[in-house]
Order: sequence, then structure tokens, then C-alpha cells
Amino acid sequence: MVRSWTVGVDVGGTFTDVVATDQLTGAVRTAKTLTRAKDPIGGIEAACHSVELAMDDISDLILGTTMATNAIVEGRLAKTALIATAGFADTVDIGRQNRRELYRMDVTPRPEPLVPPGLRLEAAERLDAEGRTVTSLDDGEAKRLADAVKALGVESVAVCLLHSYVDGRHEIRIGEELRHKTPFVALSHELNPEPREFERMNSTILNAALMPTVARYLRRLEDRLGKGTRLHLFHSAGGMASAASVETRPLSMALSGPAAGVAAAARVASQLQLPAVIAFDMGGTTTDVSIVVDGKAQIGSNHRLAGYPIRQMMVGVESIGAGGGSIARVENGAVRVGPDSAGSDPGPACYGLGGTQPTVTDANLVLGYLDAERVLGGTVCLDTQRAAASLSSVARAVGTSIHEAALGIHRVANANMVRALRRVTVESGVDARACALLAFGGAGPMHAVALAREFGISRVIVPRYSSAFSALGCLVADMRYAEQRSLRMPGSAWDSARLAQVVDGITARLATPLPKSGHDGDGLKVDVVGLVRYREQSDTVEVPLTAPYDPSAISAAFEAAHRRLYGFATDEGWELEAVRVTVFAGANRPIGPVPRATALRSCKASRRAQCWFEAGGPATTSFYDREALIPDERIAGPAIIEDPWSTVVVPPGAAVWADGHANLQITAIETAR
Amino acid sequence: MSIVNGGVDPFTVEVIRNALTAIAEEMSLIIMRSARSPLLREAGDLSSALTDASGGLVAQGRDIPAHLGIMGSTVTEFLKRVPAHRLQPGDVWFLNLPEVGGNHLPDVKAIRPVFAEGKLQAFAVNLAHWADIGGARPGSYVPDALDTWQEGLRISPLRLFTADGPDREKLDLVIANVRGGSEREGDILAQMAATRSAEARLHELFDRHSAAKVQDAIDNLHDQSESEMRAAIRALPDGVYEGEDFLDNDGIDRSPIAVRVKITVKGDEAVFDFSDTDGAARGPLNATPFTAAASVFYAMKAIAGPDIQPNAGCARPLTIITRPGSLLNPPRESPVVGGNHETSQRIVDAIFKALEPAVPARLSAGGSTTSGLLLFSGIDPRTGRWVTLYEVHGGGEGARIDRDGCPVVRAHMSNVMNTPAEIIEAFYPIRIERQTLRRHSGGDGLHCGGDGQIRCYRIMGPEMAMTSMVERCDVPPFGLQGGRPGKPFRIELIKASGETAAVDGKTHIRLHKDDRIVIETSGGGGYGAIPRTGTQ
Repeated sequence: MVRSWTVGVDVGGTFTDVVATDQLTGAVRTAKTLTRAKDPIGGIEAACHSVELAMDDISDLILGTTMATNAIVEGRLAKTALIATAGFADTVDIGRQNRRELYRMDVTPRPEPLVPPGLRLEAAERLDAEGRTVTSLDDGEAKRLADAVKALGVESVAVCLLHSYVDGRHEIRIGEELRHKTPFVALSHELNPEPREFERMNSTILNAALMPTVARYLRRLEDRLGKGTRLHLFHSAGGMASAASVETRPLSMALSGPAAGVAAAARVASQLQLPAVIAFDMGGTTTDVSIVVDGKAQIGSNHRLAGYPIRQMMVGVESIGAGGGSIARVENGAVRVGPDSAGSDPGPACYGLGGTQPTVTDANLVLGYLDAERVLGGTVCLDTQRAAASLSSVARAVGTSIHEAALGIHRVANANMVRALRRVTVESGVDARACALLAFGGAGPMHAVALAREFGISRVIVPRYSSAFSALGCLVADMRYAEQRSLRMPGSAWDSARLAQVVDGITARLATPLPKSGHDGDGLKVDVVGLVRYREQSDTVEVPLTAPYDPSAISAAFEAAHRRLYGFATDEGWELEAVRVTVFAGANRPIGPVPRATALRSCKASRRAQCWFEAGGPATTSFYDREALIPDERIAGPAIIEDPWSTVVVPPGAAVWADGHANLQITAIETAR
Repeated sequence: MSIVNGGVDPFTVEVIRNALTAIAEEMSLIIMRSARSPLLREAGDLSSALTDASGGLVAQGRDIPAHLGIMGSTVTEFLKRVPAHRLQPGDVWFLNLPEVGGNHLPDVKAIRPVFAEGKLQAFAVNLAHWADIGGARPGSYVPDALDTWQEGLRISPLRLFTADGPDREKLDLVIANVRGGSEREGDILAQMAATRSAEARLHELFDRHSAAKVQDAIDNLHDQSESEMRAAIRALPDGVYEGEDFLDNDGIDRSPIAVRVKITVKGDEAVFDFSDTDGAARGPLNATPFTAAASVFYAMKAIAGPDIQPNAGCARPLTIITRPGSLLNPPRESPVVGGNHETSQRIVDAIFKALEPAVPARLSAGGSTTSGLLLFSGIDPRTGRWVTLYEVHGGGEGARIDRDGCPVVRAHMSNVMNTPAEIIEAFYPIRIERQTLRRHSGGDGLHCGGDGQIRCYRIMGPEMAMTSMVERCDVPPFGLQGGRPGKPFRIELIKASGETAAVDGKTHIRLHKDDRIVIETSGGGGYGAIPRTGTQ
């Protein structure tokens, strides 16, 4: 029996998506199943069965999962001890002393500290900011700490010592002792070699606390898969990692699903040669927005999860708590959509599961965009009467018709999204109007064109497999590891030999796991980015670095980038704050041939119905099956393109066609009008 | 649409509100990312706003409570000095005068008029705390200042940029009078660049909806906020409530200073009368009436309406009275640097104490309502450069009816973060010997106040100067409903010789190598009396 299938699986909160491709024939299969929260491994197996594959058909399984995130959000973490430099263990409690809500005194200012006082240990040792010893760590102290940990009866230990990002020797020494006593040890200098003790401490503790859970999960999954199937995981920095590497860095799975969506977006952007793309993934309760420039996802290390700051390489995703389930209300004459959400239980009023408050999905149904009979692959029927009834409260409060209220809610939902789009474009210094909007997820394609118009974007793309896009991202991913290291090298005291040494060291370490995972060293690619700033600035600007690391070239590239981002540059001294190395081995799997609907000579509407796009009245709108579209044939709006899982709304004035890769291309703003 | 609110439907109003807020948020992002002062880039001590053509606040970005009432007055007061007909497209005006919609000298405001369809439509304005504004001491905190001129450069409205670019001579005059040349110039450029992007975005918005429609939407937003504030006031029972709290001292005279408020709630309007507050202080603890307004807005939001949109409409149902010549409406020559973050907090405390009989369940007991500011400056021997560390210290949160206070968190008017020990040690000649909880410092009660912290700074260079601006050293954070007060702040100097001395909350001292400063921050007040043991 030949194992020829590569399978990408994205386990989300509600649905598990699968895209599978046969490496021999190029055939592609895709499906969506319900996520099994109680039986995650069985759920993955069921997802493979849903595309008619048995485990021994599969050569490579690439998994994206919210498992790590859920464990943190739901507080399912292993009992973990902390070892910190003497005088610093309470840092986990003191934090940055800020509160999360400025005006809400009823909510606690911060989440509970990750390690309670009784599990905090202090080590008699200290380095200074240059890595010199202030207090040496003697062997007795390391042994004493290991014994003390043993006595606490914890599963995991996090070690975070002051200035270990400069030199990890004390952490390594303590780690050696600990490994005799406990299997799960996380050392801060390995996970996040950057200054800021509180953030590094949190990242280290979360890693340690996830290790036992993730290790058990991976072992059970590997047992179920059997020896013949290679397991890979999709990590937050936008690539695949081996199960072994995820076991030591489980926090790297925190943004697994969204990162896979961004990776797929990057792939489409390269394929279509788009210089700048905003990836827009709107689901039921959250919307993720990110940006892809020159085919590359933006990577950052500064994130927050469940109220805890974390520092590690992750795809830059702006996540907002708004989606199809967001509830609309009128208060003091103001219309608001969200932040409250009906979620999936009870869900929008039109689900008929007990929800009565009007949601964005109810508005979309009343506007005629959704087919009540065939939504969500036929698993849920939508009740237009209930939707209309829920909207009547808003309509009454503002004195409009139900349809006007629905249109208004659709627009306000988009206005909320505009703020997220603005933040990601500002932060990456990209001219928003030059971007294409790439829409996917359950609700993204329904809002994309109206959102693009609100934001001033003219080109919208709904990619092939848009409703299982994160699973596709898993399938097409590179094997990829990234690490960022603090350097603080001023341009005036440039040492290119030292930089080369650091880069080579990181590269060698990152490349080590690659051959074991089925990639040979020859195919390795290395990407080196410098994070540069003026000496007195805080935020850095990304500058590509290439050997021999000529400082004048770096200086010029930095000034150009600074001018682009902020509109000015000065002749102040600059400094290389940190270097980020990404090592990747391209999988470059084909996504499969494009099916051609050759039997038809022109696109044929499956039906016509009345849809609302403006307050004046409904427009007769043609509905098309996505699979039946003829490539390159232009369809003028108003039109709606449907597949079993999503709905693409093409309002009047816009036009849509399927390109040669089976992506839907939409001109949002018709120039002729 | 069938409903007409001055020509614009409520959905479009909400769409425009989101767009305006996004523009203000973008301004703050740009300043934070490109500024030089650590206060701006690390701590984010800045705010951005848009106003209408008459200066009424329309939208605010990064929301710092202490700046809210200020930004609402800055442009209005500016227009009294610089009439609208003198403004040109491309202008950016800078100012920091306390009496012109200001608070204290380090908070410098940049104002850009935005024109469309041939007329003035709006202002883009931002406020940034400069790490130095000149004056008697580095960092421009002068705890023993007796007049405003000792506190630094007073910038009356000054056009630093026109459509043709910077006005080099004026810019040089400003930079010549503050410490930290290129760092200050970087801050000015960051503030300018932020207003430029706001102008471009506003033009896009006017193009999309027409200037008239945007103006209609703004009028509507003001009405919305007004009704939100009226709803918040209605949530308080009618009555007259009086409260007072005390500043430790003004840095000059050693006696406590009372902040007194009489709140009259009637229906959906409220009067905050501060007339019985003590007279203007000799030292720098005076606050401007604009700061008093900021404190009242904060307190109303926190107690009754956290979701009120900050704009000019909020002010309509509120009357705020300050007596000329008093601590909250001082003569023009009065020093004010500490009033912005110390006295403003005491105003909130007085309001909370006044409302204790009315709505105790909505209140928190006293927290660390002070900046807890220590400012270290000197030469870093590793680089030969002059450095200034501006460090604020939070204490325990006050307890509430249903929970204990949280340890170490900033209270009410400020939310500025600390600087990590690893950053301090890398960039300043200082070693942080320890940072720990100050255990058992929270006040007892049915629910206990949160604990404060202890941080120990060791001087590593030959010499540094330190300025303190710390309140709550004598008058502790209050308990509510019979809860006990938290422990007050305590600062100690341990000299290299081992000799120790208490350090005042408002002072300026010289430190030498291996001297240590230990700051212990206040615990929060408790909530509810503990029943006597033995009673069933």
C-alpha cells in the first residue's frame, strides 16, 4: 500500500476543516466536520475519514489546533514552579503594574499570577546587563533548588533568571540539576532571549505549564497515526514544526490556526504577485486581520493571550471580538454592534436555538444574502421570520424599516472592522489603498466588498478553499523555525564578525531538526532580518540583513524604511536592537489542478432572488454555484456566489470572475460607474 | 432613511464615529512608535484627539483619564488666543501654558487645523509628555518650585510648522531651552507627523461623506454622549453629598491640604462644587480647573458610566465650580507640575468619599492615588551620556464589596507602566536589587486591600540626582464601610556607609555610588468592618 496523501487539518472552536491532496495524482479533497472538544484525537481521525482517507493512506499530517490556546484560556495548566533570581520571584505578581480596564473597577485589574506565592523559589545568583557575574551560582545552590522543586510536587518548572537573554549559563546549570528530578523544564533564555523580565517570565511559565498536556496529546495522536504517518504541527510563526520541537515549546502553538490562514494568504499573494494583501478572516465570534507584504506574513514577538503578555515569534494577527454573532443594540440614540456576541450558543436569532437578540448574521439573512435552506453545508436551517423579529427592536428604536435596520447593522459591523484594518496597515506602514483584501472564513466573503469600499480598497479576492483556508495553509506550509535574539549593537561600534557569528549560531541550531522531518539540508533557506532603531527610540524597524553585513547599507535601508513608516528620518545614531533568523525548507506542495466546467458555455445562475443593498429597495440578484463558474467570465453585481460553506456577496457596481486558479476576483469599485 | 438626525441616519453616525476614533488612535500609534522620550515610547504617556472647528472634543484615541478633560479644553482656549482667521492649512501649533487649556508644562500639545471645502472643519490635536521641558532641574520636576517659571519653558501658542515645513528659528528656540536636544526634536517631529496623518485621513472622510454630513454626525455624537452622561447621573440617587481628602503637603509647607467637594445630584444633572477646597499652594501641587474637570469626568465614568464616549457632549449636564485663588484654580504664576497627577487623584478620592453613603457598592476603597514618582538623573559612566529615569510606582488596589484589592496596580487617573529591571540596568547606571511584594500592607476588612511593592535602587555611577514626587506618605489610602486604611508610602535612603535616613515624598537629593533608595508603596484600603470575634 502506498501512502500518498498529505492532509492539512485545522481544528477550530466549532469546526474542524480538512484539505487533503494526493501527491501522486494531484487530486484534492476537502471537508468540514464538527470539532470534538471531548475527544480531540477521535475528532482528527473523523476529519480524515470525512475525506474518505484511512490513517494508512496518509504520509504527512499537518495539524493546526487551538489546543494550547484553549488550555490557557480555560486555565487547564499543569502545576508549575518558578525559579527566579533572588529578589525577583514576585515579578510574576507585580507585572507592569498597569490595569486592563481603565474605567471598570468591578473587574480585577489583572488575571491571577501564573504561579502562586508558595511555588516561587529564588536562586542566589545574578548577572548584570552585560552578562558579567555579580553573584555566582554555586553547585550547592543548584542542587538545593532541584531538591526544593522536588518537595513541591509540581509537574513542571520554569526558570527565568535576570539577564539570561545575554548569557544563559546559570539557567543551563540549574536546568541540568532539575532534569534529574522532573521531566518538564523550561529555560527562559531558550524560549525568549530578549530583555523584559516579566514578559519573559510569563512566556517561560506558560511553556512549562503546557508541556505535560501537550506531550500527552502528541503521544496519543502519534499512537493513533501509527509509524507510517509523519506528524507536523503548524506553529504561530507561520510554518510547520516537528512534534518533538512543539513538545519543548508548546506555547509556539498559541496562534496555530490563525497563522495557518495567514500562511495560505501569503501563498495566494505570491501566486497572484500581489505586493500587499490584507488577510481578513471573519468568523462567528472573532475576526482576525493580518497583512502580507511581498508574499511574506508580518512577524512580531509582542503578544497577549488571556490577559498574559507573551513574547515569542508569531504571525502578526489583530484579533477583534466581532463576527457574525455580534449583537446589535440601540442605547441613548446610538447604534452599537458588539462587543457582546451570541456566540454559537444560543447563536443568532435565526438559528432558532433560543437567541432573540439581533446579530449581524440575522441582518445578512434578512437582506437576502444567505440561503435559509443551504447554509453551513445544510447542517443548520435559518429562520428568516425569527431574524426579522429580532431586528424589529432596532428598527423601532431608530424609526426605520426592518430592511433599513439590517443594512445599517451590516454597515456598522464593517465600520468596526475598518478600525482593525487601519491598525494593521498603520503598524506595517503600508498604504491601505494599494492593498488587496483577501477574504475567507465563514463570514468574510459576505462582508468583504462593502468593507473594501468603506476602506477605499478596490480589489477583493476570495481564494479557492476559502472556507477551509487554515487547513489549506497547513497543507501548503514550509517547514519553518524562527528565533529572535537581543544584540544592541550600535552602528557606531559595528562588529559584522560578531553578527555573522550570532546568525550562524542560530541558523545551525534552527536547522538541526529539519533533516529528521524529511527535509535535506540542501533545500534550506535562511532569512535574516535586523530590528533597527534610533538609539533613543523604542520601536524598531525591520531591515533585511545580508552578509557581509555592511553597516552603511544597513543605515541607508533603515533610513528609507523609517521615512516610509513615519515620514521622516534624521542623522541620529542607530542601533541594531535584535536579529531575527528564520530557517525554512520549502514544501511547495501543489494545491492541485483547477477543475474546469467545460460543459457550459457561460455561467448560468442557479436562481434569482431579491436582495437588499441600499435603502431604496431590493434588487433582483442572480445566485451562482461557485463550482460552476467559467474561468475569466465576468459577472456584474448584484450577484451572490455560493459554495456549501460560504457566501460571496457582489453588490451592484462590483463585478466578479473566477481566475485560472479558481480564486474569485472582485472589483469592488466599478470604474465605469 | 426615514429617520433624520440633522440630515444623517444613526447607522452613518456610528460608521463616522468609528472612522473618527480610528483616526485618533492612529495618531497615538504614530507618536508611540516614532517618539524618543522613554515616557512616550515605553509608557505611552500621551493622548490624541479630534475636535470640531470650535474646539469641542469629537473623538479620543488612546484614552488617558488625566488627559480627557484637558484635551476638551485645549483647542477652545487656544482659539481665544489665536483667532481662527489666522490659521492656515499646513500649520502645526505647539503650546503648554497651563492657563490655555493645560495641566502642567511637560505635557506639550500639538494642534493642526484641518481645512476642507475652503473652510476650517476640525482640529487634530495630540498631547505628549516630554521627558524635559527645562526649568530648575533635569526632568522638570521641581518639588520646591515657588513659581511656574522655575518649572520650565512656557510655550504660548507657537506655529512651529507651516505648509512650507518647519520654522527653524522657532524650533531652535524651543530646543535651546529644554534638555536633551535631539531627543526633544524627535518628539516634536513625531507629534507633527501624527497630526499630518490625521489630516490626510480626515480629508478621506470628508471626500467620502461630505464635510457637512460629517459635521452633522459630530453634532449627533455630542448629543449621544450627553444622553449617556445624563443616564449615568440618573443612576445616582438625588441628594447633596460632601467629601474631603488631603494632600500630604505641597513640598514647601509641611501641613496637609484639603480637597473638598460638594456634589448636588438632581435628576439628570450634577454640580461638583470645589469652593471649600483650601487656597492655592505655595509649592507645585496646584491643579488647573481643566485638571479638575478631567477628574470629575473620570469619576463619573468609573462610578456610573464606563462606556460613555469621551467628547464635548459629556460636559453639558455637569457643572464644575472651582474658586479663583484656590488649589484648583490658582493664580497664573503658581507652580503646577504635581497637580496633574497628585491633586487630580485627590479630587477623585474626595468624590469617592462623598458618594460613599449613596453608592458604596459601586466604589473601591482608596488605592495608590499618586504617581509615586522617582526621577533619577546623571551621567552613565559606560557611555558618558546624560540619562534620566522617570519611574512611577503603583501600590495595592482598594478592596470592593465583593473582592480583595489586587496587589501593585496603578489607580484611577493614571495607568503608566513601570520600567523592567532589565531595561533599567541596561540603559541607566542603576541596579535594581529587588522588586517584591510589600506583604501585609493592604488594609484589613471584610475584604482586604491589595499589597504594595518594595523596589530597591542601587546607584552604580559616581553620582546621580534624585527627585521624588510621591503622595500618600502621611495620609494613607482610605478604607470604606469600616474597612481599615492601607499602609502609606515609605522611602528610605541607605548610604554606602550603611547609614540610613527617611526620604521625603517631595524632595531633591544627591546620591553617590552604592547608595540605595528603597521605596515601599502603599497598600490598598479595606472594605467593610470585620465583625468582633465572639459575636455570633
